[in-house]
Amino acid sequence: MRAVKFVAGRFAGMVLVLLIVSFITFVVFYVLPSEPAQLACGRPCSPQALELAREFMGYNVPWYQQYFDFIGGIFGGRTFGTGQAAIVCSAPCFGYDFQNNADVLDEILSRVEVSVSVAIGAAIIWLITGVGLGVVSALKRGTPLDRITMAVAMAGVSMPAYLAGMLGITIFAFGLDVVPKNGYVPIGEDVAQWAWHLVTPWLVLAFLHAAIYARLTRGQMLETLGEDFIRTARAKGLTERKVVGRHALRNVLLPVVTVFGVDLGLLLAGTVITERIFSMPGVGMLLVDSIRSLNLPILLGVTLFAALAVTLVNFLVDLFYGVLDPRARLT
Amino acid sequence: MKRRHSLAGIAAVAVLLAACGANDKPAGGQAGGDVKKGGTLYLLSDSPTQQYDPARSSSLVVTGLQFVHRRLTSWKVAPGQDTTIVPDLATDTGKPSDGGKTWTFTLKDNQKYSDGSTIKSADIKWGLERSYAPAFAGGLAYHKDLLSPGLTYKGPFEGGQELSTIETPDDKTIIFKLARPYGDWNWVASTPAFAPVPKGKGAEANYGEHPIASGPYQIDKFERGKTAEFSRNPHWDGKTDETRPANPDKVIWQFSQQTNVISKRLIDDTGEDKNAFGISFASPAQLAQIQSNQSAKSRLVTSESGALAYLALNTLRGKLTDVNVRKAFQYAVNKAAYQVASAGNAQLACDAATTLVTPGIAGREQFDLYPSKPEGDPAKAKELLAAAGNPNGLEGLVLVTRAENNWPKLAESVQSSLAASGIKATIKPMDEETFTAEVQNKPNPDYDLALVSWQPDIPSANANIQPLFQSTEIGGGGYNTARYNNADVDRLITEAQATVDQKEAAKKWAELDKKILADSPVVPLIYTRNSYLHGSKVGNVQIGRFPAYADYRQFGIIQ
Repeated sequence: MRAVKFVAGRFAGMVLVLLIVSFITFVVFYVLPSEPAQLACGRPCSPQALELAREFMGYNVPWYQQYFDFIGGIFGGRTFGTGQAAIVCSAPCFGYDFQNNADVLDEILSRVEVSVSVAIGAAIIWLITGVGLGVVSALKRGTPLDRITMAVAMAGVSMPAYLAGMLGITIFAFGLDVVPKNGYVPIGEDVAQWAWHLVTPWLVLAFLHAAIYARLTRGQMLETLGEDFIRTARAKGLTERKVVGRHALRNVLLPVVTVFGVDLGLLLAGTVITERIFSMPGVGMLLVDSIRSLNLPILLGVTLFAALAVTLVNFLVDLFYGVLDPRARLT
Repeated sequence: MKRRHSLAGIAAVAVLLAACGANDKPAGGQAGGDVKKGGTLYLLSDSPTQQYDPARSSSLVVTGLQFVHRRLTSWKVAPGQDTTIVPDLATDTGKPSDGGKTWTFTLKDNQKYSDGSTIKSADIKWGLERSYAPAFAGGLAYHKDLLSPGLTYKGPFEGGQELSTIETPDDKTIIFKLARPYGDWNWVASTPAFAPVPKGKGAEANYGEHPIASGPYQIDKFERGKTAEFSRNPHWDGKTDETRPANPDKVIWQFSQQTNVISKRLIDDTGEDKNAFGISFASPAQLAQIQSNQSAKSRLVTSESGALAYLALNTLRGKLTDVNVRKAFQYAVNKAAYQVASAGNAQLACDAATTLVTPGIAGREQFDLYPSKPEGDPAKAKELLAAAGNPNGLEGLVLVTRAENNWPKLAESVQSSLAASGIKATIKPMDEETFTAEVQNKPNPDYDLALVSWQPDIPSANANIQPLFQSTEIGGGGYNTARYNNADVDRLITEAQATVDQKEAAKKWAELDKKILADSPVVPLIYTRNSYLHGSKVGNVQIGRFPAYADYRQFGIIQ
């Protein structure tokens, strides 16, 4: 019963967060001085042609009406224009991209595979290497290995993603010529090529994130190893492996998992810079392209998608707490 | 206002990114060896997509849309020569009658679509009618008000209404009855909406992803954000097409490429990148890198000139309503400083501009109503301001510019040169969207000065002058950023547009160029140049005197 209440509460919270995000985004994009119908007006654009474009796109009504139309579209779908060439955006309609003639939701969903591929692969690598190096560093505190690991981690934390991406592509693709220069191959088309094209983005992203996780894990591990319950475990005669693996690591992972939830959520919603540098047509690239072309429906859609990804992953992380910490278990 | 390959309008960000190209003066705008039929051409673009719906495209005649669609007329482009109008689907460039109010075109024999069906005059009509449907708006619309005054017509998809101003008495004849005489109608007939769409087809919103081809190539695969792949249209007859040699067997367009990666790929020039052309302009930063690489340098092509960059003076604001005050700006602006801000070195930049009509347009006259050194003449500017009752100069002017790329730097160069003449302006950088809303849409915008540029859509002075200076183009999405309103100029523009004799029309446009500049609504700055990099196996990379873009139609692979 407690679990049902928890899930229901979190679900309601998610819906509320999405509503707030959609409202703020809508206000920011639509209330600021802008004319989204300009691009659909053609050139030359007469005042009459501009008004026709606004009417067709639904921008000829007050902004709050536009917001209600948007929310209404999610539940009931929307139709733009009339007659044989009318555009039907079926529910759940998160808006229509007039520049590319596509349903916003379809467009985002068509990019999810790429973003998920980039995010999950990188996350696995950084979680294993970051946490692993952090633990080893803590256990070998003060040794050259610890110092080198932390120095490399510091470089990773300080390096902008753009620079890391360009270095990765310059060294591995152009310099050593061992990986593809850019592009994405769908997993359903060729698994090996899929992985091969993703190796450099994975490594670049993993390097940037692993650095943070290594530092975080090391700090947490050092703190935990000084706790009373670790002393008790050691006093009970447990092996060091059990002390570290079963008792210390479990505690260390709690904050790591919290950060991981946010990071993975954001990454699933698109790795803007990495996708752009490696020409990966994911959600992040869609966002960049939409900003460049002032594609407001897509911007709104991607923002909502990002909010959904972050809240959803965080919800899963909350559930996972129970696995790590019996006190947080739902019954 | 689109950057990428809408290629026209207020040629925004990237035009000035590559403004005047930080490289040597162009040597004829041509590069590459002898090409042979065959091979695969790669086009590398930083843009996420390309519009292949003729009704919705604003691409120029020399670009990729021409792979798929033919129109009634086309452009003959050659380095060092003015661009001329030539027949495409039609047998000639149109026969005007009724003083330029009626235009008749006849289609050539046996021209077919990619599905093997014959192209009929009714299909041209249908394509144009389709462009009036709100779902298919967004392209070049020069024809719209001439064929349906007041835009009363809403397209053929609602009740099957036809556009009565287009007549197709038989399958090969098409007659346009215009609302008023229009001498440039044959140029307008080269814009994308004049491509045929089989009658009754193209109601689906994504028609542009699978259009029926009338040009030499058809689209095999289209993935937004990734690729568009073309193969030969088996029914295209090269003998009827004088502007498309259609050299490559295949064309592969790669979208959403990172600009630095494009440059690196082209500089490296390995593998399939040897067959690649970079659609994005080479930026000044990239040009510096290219200059240090002999191979890459030999594969760089630069236009002679290009879009007009200018400082618009809001003629409806404060002291700028006084023509004598506005004239002071002609001397106050240091064009040499602007060249340096654009290209890093005035020697490497293109010439300072003194006219509104850009080079490469037939009939253009070179003149300078306000002769001074490129550095300007602050003393003269001060003198004019004093004579106009402003002995202490001007204060509190607002200079709007885009916040992206090097626009703020360019605005700073203008700001400091104005300051030397006692004109104090505050720069107000805006993101692209806000800038567009401010200069194009607001009835009472909050700016005195605006930094903009303009690339005409057709090589006619009409396209240089009318959109920027006719009073109907103020606000409501128009491009008259100087808010210039002169009834006499409006009348003369309509008169020049109605002149069918091109030599006579050119004279009228040249007079208008001078007449408008005499009112000083804008200060012409430079004619921006564009630079492109390509792989070593791409030949026939040429840029004519207009437009400042490579003619994709001519590309071929050096076998």
